[in-house]
Amino acid sequence: MIHLTLFLPLVAGLILLLLPSLGRMFALLAAAVTFVLSLILFAGHRGEGFSYASQTPMLEPVGVYYAVGLDGAGVLLWLALTFTVLLALWIADVPLRFMALALCMETGLLGIFAARDLILFYVFFEFTLVPSLLMLGLYGGPERMRALYTFALFTLVGSLPMLGAILAVRYLGGSPSFLLSDLLQHPITGAAASWVFVGFLIAFGVKSVLFPLHAWLPSFHVENHPSGLADTMGTLYKVGIFAFFRWAIPLAPEGFSQLQGLVLFLAAFTAIYGAWVAFGAKDWKNLLAYGGISHMGLGLMGVFSATSEGTVGALFLLAASMVYTGAMFLFVGRVYARTGSLEIGPVRGMAKSAPALAALGLFLVMAMIGLPGLAGFPGELMALLGAYKASPWLTFVGFTAIIAGAAYALTAYQAVFHEQANGADKPDLDSREWVFAALTVGALLLLGLYPKMFTELLEPLGKAIASILGGAS
Amino acid sequence: MNAAFGMSTLIVLGGFATALTLLAFVVKAYGTKWLAALAIVLAALLTIATWGQPFEAFGGLYRIDTLAQGLTLAALFGCLWALLLGPSEKFEYPLLILYAATGMHVMASSTNLVVLLIALEIFSLPLYVLATWRRDERGFEAGLKYFLLGALSSAVFIYGIALYFGATGNLTAGHAGSGPLYAAAMTLMLAALGFKVSMVPFQWWTPDVYQGSPTSVALMMSTAVKAAGFAAMARIFTPGGQGEWGLALGVVIACTVLFGNLGALVQTEAKRLLAYSSIAHAGYIGLALYSGTGGPAMVFYIFVYAAATGLAFAVLQGISEGDVPNQRLQGLLYRQPLLAVGLGIALLSLIGVPPFAGFWGKYLVFSEAAKAGQYGLVVLALLTSAIAAYYYLRLLGMAVLNRSGEPTPAPSATLAGIVIFSLTLLLLLSFVPGLGLNTFSVGQ
Repeated sequence: MIHLTLFLPLVAGLILLLLPSLGRMFALLAAAVTFVLSLILFAGHRGEGFSYASQTPMLEPVGVYYAVGLDGAGVLLWLALTFTVLLALWIADVPLRFMALALCMETGLLGIFAARDLILFYVFFEFTLVPSLLMLGLYGGPERMRALYTFALFTLVGSLPMLGAILAVRYLGGSPSFLLSDLLQHPITGAAASWVFVGFLIAFGVKSVLFPLHAWLPSFHVENHPSGLADTMGTLYKVGIFAFFRWAIPLAPEGFSQLQGLVLFLAAFTAIYGAWVAFGAKDWKNLLAYGGISHMGLGLMGVFSATSEGTVGALFLLAASMVYTGAMFLFVGRVYARTGSLEIGPVRGMAKSAPALAALGLFLVMAMIGLPGLAGFPGELMALLGAYKASPWLTFVGFTAIIAGAAYALTAYQAVFHEQANGADKPDLDSREWVFAALTVGALLLLGLYPKMFTELLEPLGKAIASILGGAS
Repeated sequence: MNAAFGMSTLIVLGGFATALTLLAFVVKAYGTKWLAALAIVLAALLTIATWGQPFEAFGGLYRIDTLAQGLTLAALFGCLWALLLGPSEKFEYPLLILYAATGMHVMASSTNLVVLLIALEIFSLPLYVLATWRRDERGFEAGLKYFLLGALSSAVFIYGIALYFGATGNLTAGHAGSGPLYAAAMTLMLAALGFKVSMVPFQWWTPDVYQGSPTSVALMMSTAVKAAGFAAMARIFTPGGQGEWGLALGVVIACTVLFGNLGALVQTEAKRLLAYSSIAHAGYIGLALYSGTGGPAMVFYIFVYAAATGLAFAVLQGISEGDVPNQRLQGLLYRQPLLAVGLGIALLSLIGVPPFAGFWGKYLVFSEAAKAGQYGLVVLALLTSAIAAYYYLRLLGMAVLNRSGEPTPAPSATLAGIVIFSLTLLLLLSFVPGLGLNTFSVGQ
């Protein structure tokens, strides 16, 4: 079933690309079935280790396998991912081929979280880029070509050091294959370990928007289609935190230990820098882009603390931020549909004419800034708790970023929905948006009020990381 | 296996070439074309039918193994596409291609240097003529350049063979040796074959000849000729190790990947761009020469490369018989979606974006070189691959991201068939790379 779930979106996407006459319902159906399947996988997941593991040789003579499986993190991220894609396809007003590309991309993303072979991981990691570039190039804004070049440049150049690191991990470590289980038994040591970690750091830094590798993200979001579908998919593509947790840290623990101070500092700086720029942002997409950078910084602090709490928090934050950042971009897409503008300045006081829309916005903003009881809070808290063990001072910086988050998000919210209304009345939520609102609110409440349901799955993984790094410090 | 069956590929190719020449004034030009195509298809099917069954004839002068069969197959595809897409009003065109195909098959299937030399001439002479096919100034320039440099490279090859015989007392390729005489022999042969597969510094003819020749002939030069040339290189340079003259090979490969990729960055004409890309890929294929077990990796790479480059050239041929400035590709997706998709998959494969087949090819040859300890070359190859992504993606971007553009004729049924066949082959190797690698490793 894991294979079916994995490839169903790709197949559906390709069919839809060829036969657009199948229509929107076909895309929604595919996304819904994928979500239901991953719910079933979630329900049937055993507590520890990889469930649904399977492997078939792909290039046997050189040790490449098609090996997939879901551990606690994988199954949680699959759930968040398939849910968000369903949400995005449900609400976004986009051409059918655009939806088809989003479906193709979903397979790539699912594969990233499920791969148990390093080369297979790389394949999914890079494949996801193709639909992502096409979405930006085909449906983006006027300056899309520049955004496209920046994005492609960062990603492709970033993945080369990773490919070098991948080859080095296997051949210098002496592992018989690229399977995760084999590689873990042959961790790389010595000076090479630092270089290998740096190789991964560059590639995953791009995909977790670690300063200074974040520069592609703002133009990527600003130039993408205003509906928010491509932005949501781009948000889901920020898989760096997971990749550090799954591959970079366990495979080169020595390299990570040597660079831990530096990367923790970079992560903390990313958090505060993102929040600072977001505060001055003039339009929603910039604000969310930099806000996302800030959140990823917090998550990275958790992962780089290499403590059990930090890792659990970071992974939870990643899953939660998929849902709330994705929903936020889609919400902004709905605002755009009413006002024709993404700027924060000109539109004021929408709460008068569209109170339900304003309420949904408030809820999403609260989830984003980490109000206790909503999705953002548990992850941020645990990530920072973990980081505190590694570096109290940098954790203080992280807390400042959270406070700044409240400032920028609420300021923007206040400007658009409150203050003196201007312009014509805006329509309130229609029935499709009500469904969107209900699903989003439900999911964010579940993540916020009962995080234990998910963190239970992550705890053994966090402990495993901590033990690889030798104790809880 | 009996001798007739073992040599069936050669018999079919040579037999049809001879018979069609004798009947050239009886059979109509159109008939010659289809009979030649039939011969190539038949030869390809026979190659597949005898797959994995090693066979020797003439005391080892003619030797069929998986390397020979894999590269013959790649060369035959290149020849077949060139034949089907090329002009059909004159009988010379199919005949010349059939002769070239025969020579390429022999080139892939011998370890004797004299036979290799003869094979080299058999497939080079038709190509010199084909390069001038358009009979305009650029065509003559292309033909003359190709012929003069080609004749020079043959002379160098003969000189290399003579020195090799002096150093090892043997005309069978692949003997290890030492001393300045041996190093000189290997370097001379590297130069001669480097010319055929366009490796730096023997690549100067490539862009001009590709641009001046008909697109279908450029297709053949970039796919079939490379397959044949590298077949000979694998037999000459790999088994004996790289010893003292290995530095020469390393320098040539490093210059080739650098020059090819940097040169392609500034090209504004698609055929020239693909010419530089074919230079760059010659460098990547060269990495597989380092490994004693690199046969399957090299065959895999060449096969995938030939399928992708053949597909790209076929698309260009569908747009224009002559020059194709990059701008001509604008908005191709909205006018001829099949051609645009074909070009897109071909270019993605040439970049080596996973999971497209080119990625697996690159991965295989890079790891062969890494296993042989050539880390510097692998790093250089990785870096230049990133440069390559820029120019391929720019071309692809033009084809799919713009809506406006000049009209493009609808693809003929033949072209559509070639595009669909190549796409199927590429996608199959993309998603089931193990199938390809296992096929090319049979009997090794």
